Amino acid sequence: MAENSGTDPTVDSNVVENAASDETMIVVTVKTPKDKEEIAISEDSSVAQFKEEISKRFNAKQDQLVLIFAGKILKDGDTLNQHGIKDGLTVHLVIKTAPKATVGGTSQSSASSSGTPQANSSVNPSAAPNDSTTPGTGPTPASTQPPNLLSGFGDLSSLSGMGMGSANFMEMQQQMQRQLMSNPEMLSQIMDNPLVQNMMSNPDLMRQMIVTNPQMQQLMERNPEISHMLNNPELMRQTMELARNPAMMQEMMRNQDRALSNLESIPGGYNALRRMYTDIQEPMFSAAREQFGNNPFSALGGNLDSGVQPSRTENREPLPNPWGPPGTTPSEIRGTGASTTTTSSAGGTAPSASNPLGINASGLGNGVFGSPGMQSLMQQISENPQLMQNMLSAPYMRSMMQSLAQNPDLASQVCTTSALSAQQQLMQQMLQMFAGGGGGSSSTVTPEVRFQQQLDQLSAMGFINREANLQALIATGGDINAAIERLLGSQPS
Amino acid sequence: MWINLPRASAFPCCNQPPTMLTCALPLLSDKMAVAAGSGVKVPRNFRLLEELEEGQKGVGDGTVSWGLEDDEDMTLTRWRGMIIGPPRTIYENRMYSLKVECGPRYPEAPPFVRFVTKINLNGVHNSNGVVDTRAVSALAKWQNSYSIRVVLQELRRLMMCKENMKLPQPPEGQIYTN
Repeated sequence: MAENSGTDPTVDSNVVENAASDETMIVVTVKTPKDKEEIAISEDSSVAQFKEEISKRFNAKQDQLVLIFAGKILKDGDTLNQHGIKDGLTVHLVIKTAPKATVGGTSQSSASSSGTPQANSSVNPSAAPNDSTTPGTGPTPASTQPPNLLSGFGDLSSLSGMGMGSANFMEMQQQMQRQLMSNPEMLSQIMDNPLVQNMMSNPDLMRQMIVTNPQMQQLMERNPEISHMLNNPELMRQTMELARNPAMMQEMMRNQDRALSNLESIPGGYNALRRMYTDIQEPMFSAAREQFGNNPFSALGGNLDSGVQPSRTENREPLPNPWGPPGTTPSEIRGTGASTTTTSSAGGTAPSASNPLGINASGLGNGVFGSPGMQSLMQQISENPQLMQNMLSAPYMRSMMQSLAQNPDLASQVCTTSALSAQQQLMQQMLQMFAGGGGGSSSTVTPEVRFQQQLDQLSAMGFINREANLQALIATGGDINAAIERLLGSQPS
Repeated sequence: MWINLPRASAFPCCNQPPTMLTCALPLLSDKMAVAAGSGVKVPRNFRLLEELEEGQKGVGDGTVSWGLEDDEDMTLTRWRGMIIGPPRTIYENRMYSLKVECGPRYPEAPPFVRFVTKINLNGVHNSNGVVDTRAVSALAKWQNSYSIRVVLQELRRLMMCKENMKLPQPPEGQIYTN
């Protein structure tokens, strides 16, 4: 038994670290709604010390922890003794997902009687419940933007968090989204584009993009299930594969519909369904509907006749001409949707004052670059080279550029649709800027080198067939989990 | 894909029967549980001591907690409870503190329950947080096998009800002052 019952001041003045070794240890069970851990702590320690141990064990920050024992919240200044916490007893833990600011809280705590909880210390009397818990997302002007539901498809709003947030950019991106939402053909165009597919194969990127969208954040607060969904990598991966593979998506939707109809037949199921609908789908649909309402002609997006009117202050996406020849517009879209490799040639536009590079809005090629959103993006870029510089320096763009660089077909397709050499120069500049931006891997790297790390991991796991590993990695774009599944699936069981 | 519903979501109904204490693991002694099951009346203090022990040991799923307000209270009358707001409701991530008073006729008579933390919930008075006995089925149809835990869990279940789970709530941290 240790002889020194008190702390030895000469050894370490920081009592926190030494207390555990000098005094009687008790084992306290810490229980969260999800799991529980047993933590050994000195019986004389304070709640703050206890929280320190807990934060290590549960991998959470100390200020996110709220401890409850016997119906009372444990404050940092109390001791375990004070609350009667002894060996073998259980303390409840709640890990708050969003640490609240403590500014308003301390003034409130004086009003509390003993044991009254003041754990959630931020007071937001004026903020609506939805907005009050938005974690720091930077300068997202949530109130000024119309809702942007689709955050995944080429959403560049995440760049605003990197300090770009110019009104131009946001408007432009909203326009793009509006177009996207309304035109499923365009959607499939975009999905087919290898550029976007490459982007989507990076689960972290996807998650980030989704999370930083303020609309999604609001949704996530009201329906925390969505955030659970996002945090579940398995689910994310599956979702992304779905997005990549439209046939699979249809299958999934059919299954879901079938499941839903089955649910209806269960007693009480219809109510549950209704609840589900109002919880999850309504906010999404209402957000989407707003976009529809704003732009009733957006379904006709992408026609050739729309006058190009780039403005200097705001980008007003030119409304497509609803009275334009109806035959050309849908067929044009269908044509570009069918194949992303055919180059559509359209008449060039002479350079005008506001359009110095004379980028032809409609002639910019296929896939994502063919959509009006992207076209306006290009226009903006041509007017504002600084914008381009910023954009390219974002790591997000870098991966886009990587795939662009690695895929010379795509690059040439993008570069050669229009006869304008200025545009080609632009693209080359972009590529150069990427290369000059430094850091990233060279464009001539082989898959084997690219996936070196993954290959090593796979061989460490026991997949010794290097060729098969490589194939699987190439097929899944470097996603180890998917590659493993592929490898396992290919073996006869 | 954006309406990909989470798989393992539960749809709680409001009319689930509260858990019976006789089914819970006896802590103080087997005899007490058997006695309760066979209709023998357990003395009040014994019952409350057992509940105290349960509260300290964290029986249950960890979403409610209870204990004596004052450890020196020999009459075991005034209790404190805590309910952790259920996920996927507007109460999520909040902790609600309650005062529970077990009168002299407990457990034959139900306890008095009132919220300390401000809450907007059907059955709770807006002005003082007192829980309406008629609104909570565990209190309205009280049985002597019920306990403080049962009441707290029932209140938590009420929070998950469709009619309650989206009620706008007062800002966090406010308490009833009377």
